[in-house]
Amino acid sequence: MAAVIGWRKKDFWWQSPVVFLEDPAAAHRLVWDPFTVYSPVKFLLEWQASCAAKVGIFVKGCDSRGINRLLQDKRLERERVVVYGVPCGGKADAEKIRASFPAKGIKDVTLLGEQLVLTVGDREVRVAAEAYLLDKCLTCRHPNPVVYDKLLWEEVLPRQRADESRFARVQAVASLATEERFFYWQRQFERCIRCFACRNTCPACNCRVCIFDQAEPRWLGKANDPADTLNYHIIRAFHVAGRCFECGECERICPAGVPLQELNRKLIKDINEAYGDYEAGLDATDQPPLGTYRGEDPAGFDES
Amino acid sequence: MKRIGVFICWCGSNIAGTVDIDKVAAAAGTMNGVVYVDQNKYTCSEIGQAMIKDAIKEYKLDRVVIAACSPRMHENTFRKTVESAGLNPYYLEIANIREQCSWVHKDKEAGTAKAISLIRTAVAKAAMNEALFAVEMPITRRALVIGGGIAGIQAALDIADTGFEVDLVEREPSLGGRMAQLDKTFPTLDCSACILTPKMVDVAQHEKIRLFTYAEVEKVEGYLGNFTVTIRHRARSVDLQKCTGCGECLAKCPAKVASEFEEGLVQRRAIYTPFPQAVPNKPAIDRAHCRFFTTGKCKVCQKVCPADAIDYEMEDRLLTNGYGAIVVATGFDTHKLNDYGEYAYGKHPDVLTSLEFERLLNASGPTGGKILRPSDGKAPKTVAFIQCVGSRDKAKGNSYCAKICCMYTAKHAILLSEKVPGSKAFVFYIDVRTAGKDYEEFYTRAYEECGASYIKGNVSKVFPEGEKLLVRGVDVLSGALVELLVDMVVLAVSVDARADAKELAKKLAVTVNEHKFFTEAHPKLRPVDTQTAGIFLAGVCQGPKDIPETVAQASAAAVKVAAIFSKQSLLSNPTVAEVEQKLCSGDMSCMAVCPYGAISEQVVEERRGREMVTRKIARVNVALCQGCGACTVACRPGAINLKGFTNQQILAEVDAICL
Amino acid sequence: MPVVNERFEPLIVAFCCNWCSYAGADLAGISRMSYASNVRIIRVPCSSRVNPGFIIRAFQRGADGVLVAGCHPGDCHYHSGNFFTRRRLTVLKQMIEYLGIEPQRFQVRWISGSEGAKFAMVMNSVAEEIRLLGPNRKLRDVR
Repeated sequence: MAAVIGWRKKDFWWQSPVVFLEDPAAAHRLVWDPFTVYSPVKFLLEWQASCAAKVGIFVKGCDSRGINRLLQDKRLERERVVVYGVPCGGKADAEKIRASFPAKGIKDVTLLGEQLVLTVGDREVRVAAEAYLLDKCLTCRHPNPVVYDKLLWEEVLPRQRADESRFARVQAVASLATEERFFYWQRQFERCIRCFACRNTCPACNCRVCIFDQAEPRWLGKANDPADTLNYHIIRAFHVAGRCFECGECERICPAGVPLQELNRKLIKDINEAYGDYEAGLDATDQPPLGTYRGEDPAGFDES
Repeated sequence: MKRIGVFICWCGSNIAGTVDIDKVAAAAGTMNGVVYVDQNKYTCSEIGQAMIKDAIKEYKLDRVVIAACSPRMHENTFRKTVESAGLNPYYLEIANIREQCSWVHKDKEAGTAKAISLIRTAVAKAAMNEALFAVEMPITRRALVIGGGIAGIQAALDIADTGFEVDLVEREPSLGGRMAQLDKTFPTLDCSACILTPKMVDVAQHEKIRLFTYAEVEKVEGYLGNFTVTIRHRARSVDLQKCTGCGECLAKCPAKVASEFEEGLVQRRAIYTPFPQAVPNKPAIDRAHCRFFTTGKCKVCQKVCPADAIDYEMEDRLLTNGYGAIVVATGFDTHKLNDYGEYAYGKHPDVLTSLEFERLLNASGPTGGKILRPSDGKAPKTVAFIQCVGSRDKAKGNSYCAKICCMYTAKHAILLSEKVPGSKAFVFYIDVRTAGKDYEEFYTRAYEECGASYIKGNVSKVFPEGEKLLVRGVDVLSGALVELLVDMVVLAVSVDARADAKELAKKLAVTVNEHKFFTEAHPKLRPVDTQTAGIFLAGVCQGPKDIPETVAQASAAAVKVAAIFSKQSLLSNPTVAEVEQKLCSGDMSCMAVCPYGAISEQVVEERRGREMVTRKIARVNVALCQGCGACTVACRPGAINLKGFTNQQILAEVDAICL
Repeated sequence: MPVVNERFEPLIVAFCCNWCSYAGADLAGISRMSYASNVRIIRVPCSSRVNPGFIIRAFQRGADGVLVAGCHPGDCHYHSGNFFTRRRLTVLKQMIEYLGIEPQRFQVRWISGSEGAKFAMVMNSVAEEIRLLGPNRKLRDVR
């Protein structure tokens, strides 16, 4: 193994970005804390393209489904990766913590079972973790890695309300009238700055050359036109249809707060209802729903 | 910049009548890249084509747009035109301003505006057209004929006589089909078996024909020139090599079942040859009814067989062969009479279908060719024939005319008068249709010489009245209610497509119409072709027809096959998918949706920085690709594109059409 | 003087598969069945060739409605193309409706080569539905 991919601590308590470590002596720099939320899997693409050696990677439940995503897309050579599975009780939302505690005083945040332990000044504060977890972690159905070579510790129990809350936001939006829905989404998308962070972080968006980056033909206009923004979001969602495994990184990482999961999960819900329950990222060998069919499939349009 | 020429066709008044050609020409002249615009009364005429060729040379045109009829009509014609002027044929683009404009829009202003828009779109696409080239593909010079009735027999013989190999597949134990069931044939009254049997024997003995009876097509893959077909050779349980056809087993078999060949009028054994002149004249065991296969005990046939030909262990075999072309000749089913309770069919033994009556006429049939009532074995003195049972009946049956019933009913009336002296035929009809050589004369003979009474009108009910049948109907010419007491009723049942026609159509990737008859490529000009190149139709599987038409169509199909086999090689379709290496991620989403298995993985070497590396990407087999383009949408980065319908071309069309 | 509103004439882009729906359009023409002139056809080999990107692009460039027409399921000239179309465009259609686009704006229909009358009828009904909706403002380029 020439390197491991994991997380390290940066300057502030809420920063635990992904790190490549090539020196075994530096292993102590690896951390696992409430902020190791960034998905490390897409870094494997770059590693495998540029280096023939094996690499180790630490994955949470969601990240492990990203591994399956890359495997199903034939973008990863499994034998060149050692996967360390890390059962995960959820990651903390720094915004939620900041809203309740004076940010300046916080020195350290750790997760102990269902409790979040904050060191504020010289004081230790213990609070129920659930209120301070990321929204996406509250709807997580697979906190335990689904693919790994070594599991770091015992598996955790999935959150009880994850199933019922999974499509709650989708249903809320879908229940609006057509015009209200349009204005709702218009308000969301008008904040989009088309930084492509959602795409860049998404393990399902793993094309060598993304369609949005091509000049000939140019599928997406470069000007800042609301119609192009809509085009981007429709096609992005379509490209991950049946392939999105709900890690929620797109939405979490969005600097404009566009609720991308509400779009991704709408497609998941529609596909499940029409073509049978399917959860992406659990099996790297099957065929995603848009790559297959059944003769008796229903349609969302007039088939007469 | 491209040099595009636009040629606008008037199509006489077909286009010029509702489209202002001058206005269209003026607008075309302003379009991007257009350097030359011309109009012609008939662009497809020799003069019209010559004008295009001249203009290409004179104005150095490198792309051509023809605004005329549908590309489905003349695209090939005009491709040849531009090719003969030295351009690649795929530099041509057609704007369909007839079928999709002048013929459907009466308002001249709107029609003109739409014609301009369609031409602008074609110009935008043409500007992006690239030279495309066909590749030569080898041909497997062996034909497959599906169905061993007269259509399949004729097609097989004609193909074989041109010197090419043929495999004929028949699912029954014998050749013969429907024609073998018939007694005499109209309008000549020659004996059906007498003209059919020699052809059946010819098939069996032809050195170029391999005959597979008791076999069915299981799977079809490939394309024109190179089909791969898996045939299920059903377990006949009789070894054809050993069997001498002596018939010992047929007499001794204890299990009896209604004979399909005799339309259920008599029983056959579980081990059976369908009829005496069967080819091959060797039996098969119907396992669904065989006592050994149903109860595990019996084996009488094995005991009596002197040749040791009975093999209960035999299993279905799936054999795969290559073929260059396929003729489909699967025939028809007679219409089921479940919805015609008023005619008492199935309730009274003397109400027969026309095909059952045919068996009564036949010398090798259940009555030895005597017309006798199934109820009491007496010859009927009066017979009512009811036509159009299940035909021309939108409410309960087929909306179409079954075409043969008028003529065979006339035949039945004539034969009745010959076989039962002093008898009388009554024919209830909607119309009598006798289009065909000598047909009208034949029909005339039925009522003039043979005394048949033709009554125009429907029969509302048939019910038993003592030993006889009471037929109640209306004579619409006089308006009178008609009640006839007859000895027998014959129902002229309609012709249906085979119940499983759709399943076969799916295997072959051909289409069926709403009545499940196979669809021809063009109703007038390509009546023998299907939409799938290399697959042809013969006989009633394409639509109701009589024997002469069936034979003619079968011979036509044979010529089509021979024409393919006579070529040195075939040219592939150049509008196939193509992979752009730098865009392909190698995730093979394309491969999953390709119906032809035309996409596979390949390893390519490419430069990365200062070194060469290898990776896997998709590869298209141009011989297998049929150009559907399903892969292009499965491919997220658009790395796989369809030549002739590229992403660039279609986006350019979209942009232009929305202007 | 009273202002007379000109009747809104929508632009409808129809992607038609060559083997069925385009042939159906030709048959409507051969049979002289008149239908709304608002419809402009782009010929594609198969409905499975229609990339959602084409559909969105048409809306961006000002189409008021988009129709994709293909062979009936099971009748695809290419065996299975329209089965993929059915899944893909069901997903796309439900998504854009969820984004607040009127369902009538984007339609998918199966029209065979023998259904000239159906082709004309569908074109008329689509044109009428879009006419009632008014111009596409939601998906159109504004710059």
